[in-house]
Amino acid sequence: MKKYLSIFKIKLMNNLQYRVAALAGISTQLFFGLVFIMVYLAFYQSGNNNNLPMNWKELVSYLWLNQIFFSLIFIWQKDRELLNMIKDGNISYELCRPIDFYKKWYATMYGERLSALLLRFLPVTIIALNLPSPLKLYPPISIMSFILFIISMIISSLLVTSIALLIHIIAMFPLDEKGIMAFIMVIGDLFSGSTVPLSFFPNFLKNIAYILPFRYIVDVPFRIYSGNISTNSAINPLLLGVVWLIIIVIFGYILSLKAIKKAIIQGG
Amino acid sequence: MKIYLNSLKLYFKSQLEYKKSFITGLLSQILIMFTYYFIIIALFDKFDNIKGYTKYEVLLCFAIIQFGFSITETFARGIDVFENLIIRGEFDRLLLRPKNILLQVLSSDYDLIKISRVIQAIIILIISLIKLNIKFNIYKIITISLILISSITIFFSIFLLMASYCFITVQGLEVKNLFTDGGKQIAQYPISIYNKHFIFIFTFLIPYAFVNYYPLLYLLGKSNNKIYVLSPLIVFIYLIPSILSFKWGIKKYTSVGS
Amino acid sequence: MSFINVNHISKTFKVAKRERGLLASLKSFFKREYIYIDAVKDISFEIKKGEIVGYIGPNGAGKSTTIKILSGILTPDSGNCKIGGMTPWLEREKYVSNIGVVFGQRSQLWWDIPAIDTFDLLKDIYNLSDKEYEETKNNLIKLLDIEEIVKIPVRQLSLGQRMRCEIAASLLHKPSILFLDEPTIGLDAVSKKIVREFIQKINKEQKTTVILTTHDMSDIEALAKRIILIGKGRILYDGNIHSLKQKFGNIKNINVDTKDTIKKINKKGIITQKKIDEGYLFQIDTNILSISNFLKYLSEITNLEDVDIENESIDDLIIKLYKEFSI
Repeated sequence: MKKYLSIFKIKLMNNLQYRVAALAGISTQLFFGLVFIMVYLAFYQSGNNNNLPMNWKELVSYLWLNQIFFSLIFIWQKDRELLNMIKDGNISYELCRPIDFYKKWYATMYGERLSALLLRFLPVTIIALNLPSPLKLYPPISIMSFILFIISMIISSLLVTSIALLIHIIAMFPLDEKGIMAFIMVIGDLFSGSTVPLSFFPNFLKNIAYILPFRYIVDVPFRIYSGNISTNSAINPLLLGVVWLIIIVIFGYILSLKAIKKAIIQGG
Repeated sequence: MKIYLNSLKLYFKSQLEYKKSFITGLLSQILIMFTYYFIIIALFDKFDNIKGYTKYEVLLCFAIIQFGFSITETFARGIDVFENLIIRGEFDRLLLRPKNILLQVLSSDYDLIKISRVIQAIIILIISLIKLNIKFNIYKIITISLILISSITIFFSIFLLMASYCFITVQGLEVKNLFTDGGKQIAQYPISIYNKHFIFIFTFLIPYAFVNYYPLLYLLGKSNNKIYVLSPLIVFIYLIPSILSFKWGIKKYTSVGS
Repeated sequence: MSFINVNHISKTFKVAKRERGLLASLKSFFKREYIYIDAVKDISFEIKKGEIVGYIGPNGAGKSTTIKILSGILTPDSGNCKIGGMTPWLEREKYVSNIGVVFGQRSQLWWDIPAIDTFDLLKDIYNLSDKEYEETKNNLIKLLDIEEIVKIPVRQLSLGQRMRCEIAASLLHKPSILFLDEPTIGLDAVSKKIVREFIQKINKEQKTTVILTTHDMSDIEALAKRIILIGKGRILYDGNIHSLKQKFGNIKNINVDTKDTIKKINKKGIITQKKIDEGYLFQIDTNILSISNFLKYLSEITNLEDVDIENESIDDLIIKLYKEFSI
């Protein structure tokens, strides 16, 4: 466990070096948050909008959370070092170390995402909570939903890391990784609900999204926060999220063993 | 100019060494773009207008901005990823050559994969124009041409301004996205849907309103004032500070080093 | 007046201070401290047309800063510099047509296509006429023996092959000065030899002035009569490589083959005495103890089978110089 903690510490220290990056990230998230909200606001103010899937409070919280947790939940993050490992032959180094390949990279990616989040989320949250009324982030609807939200975010962060790592491991096989990777990442981010809330999807696409694992990253936690998914009906999706997490971790682990085997046969 | 075209030829030749990756790249770009258009189509499934603009009016606006942005991304990638030249020290090499620096930077990289975005934008543009049933006359043809040119110009200017930022520091380049992607994000909808502070900023500080608002009023028949036909020309003024700041950046680079 | 005149050039850089540990990182996140480093300080020298000069010094001594200033990439804080009548950083576009630069660790060739395509592009960049371009190109290809190599995509070339193409690319416009920044780094013995012989040849035939930085002292020995040694931003030695050897080359290694056992000799001038397979290895300081005196003494106390006298290698000499100037 200690070695994984020190991987995390290194990532955090590394990210601390880039204070301008953190500052830039904060302003980017605030800016994009405001732009998205204004677009939706304009839609909501254009009248003739009965039976909308989310009321304004629920939507605006959803959009802010999407920005606040951006660096944690966005699948679209590439780790060059890992991707080029087989190509560069650096995998030989990797295999010489007394540390499991999958666990090491899981810790690294988790550390990367979490440290990026830690450096940014507080200022964005505070500012978003204190904006004037139609634009502001509303507090969670109840203590219970807040607790469930925290639990769902933990599941979300573990799940998104396992998915991102799985994509990287898949991409390690062919040497031209770009295409397939971008493909899965775009699909993932679309069906997680971070591009548009799933509730606004046309029905047939929403049905597809509900079968896939991605919605447990964004759609489920953010709707639990605002009460769009009630505390009573939150248990089911949370359990499903855990099931997906287990499946993807096992799948990724097995695939990582295969990737290593292949690398050894190729001579690293 | 000859250098730019010859470099483009060499770039294309390089790309042919990786045909498979080039094609998958093209396909994934089409998919990415599709998600952009999907957002608009999905939202108009639930709403019938946004501040008086209909689906195809918004799509037209969207396509205009995507067109300018993608052309710049494709053919001016050298300034888009200018930080790479600085970080890898390749900018030194350009200084060792007896040619205009900006031209050399532009010749240093391209991103032909993004051409798929340009094509997609053109297709959406044409579909929207047809669906909107616009009656074209000479003024409207001039308007749409100026709109498209100014769309390229504004992104070129912003990219160049951001490239100049790299002379100060190569840290925090995410801030670039604020102006490039962020600007693109905003201008995809007609400026008038935003709150008045934003409108002020994007009329006077970064003149998106002269790309996708005033000229569109005339094109869409919301106004008959012919002054709007020439309004995109304002955008060209924006080139001046961009070029000056880039020149300033080169001067700073040679006095501070990397 | 010489071809290259460098007068009292200085340049200072500002660098952010970095410390170890999470707490220090956290601190510097909010408040950053800077230190100022004199990259070069009051540097002056002259170089005549057609000279080959070795510019040496340990890492971080200011070598590349000097090269950057001389090639017009960097403006110094103070001092001036005239090269062929021009100040590099003031008349950059005009000046750079006269120089060629090879960075051993970087490439100017397009990676995925044959080098010959990059050559064609350089023709446009330097505005060369068809005739002069063809002539220079063919000549370089012949001299560097890269006829076939230039037709292969660069990424498939070995380092040595690529370096030969890099050098050709830097000389297409027939510069009168050639800057070589570690041109032989990582090359095998054969490629090194080709590169060195080529440099000698163009220096001789075209009177190209060559300024060479390297860590490989055999480059210097093969090419440069004159060296400039720089350390901590200052010039420590500027002169003939032979007088350097005479001045500092007073240490000799003497290999003595004998079956006898020699006890530790207590004599002034003997620096070390070491038992080796066939006999003993002595290191003596010839300023104190001459070789003939040493051998005379030795032959009195023991039966010598063979004696081998080695000069101290130039690498050792340089290390000693660094030590002497404590850099």
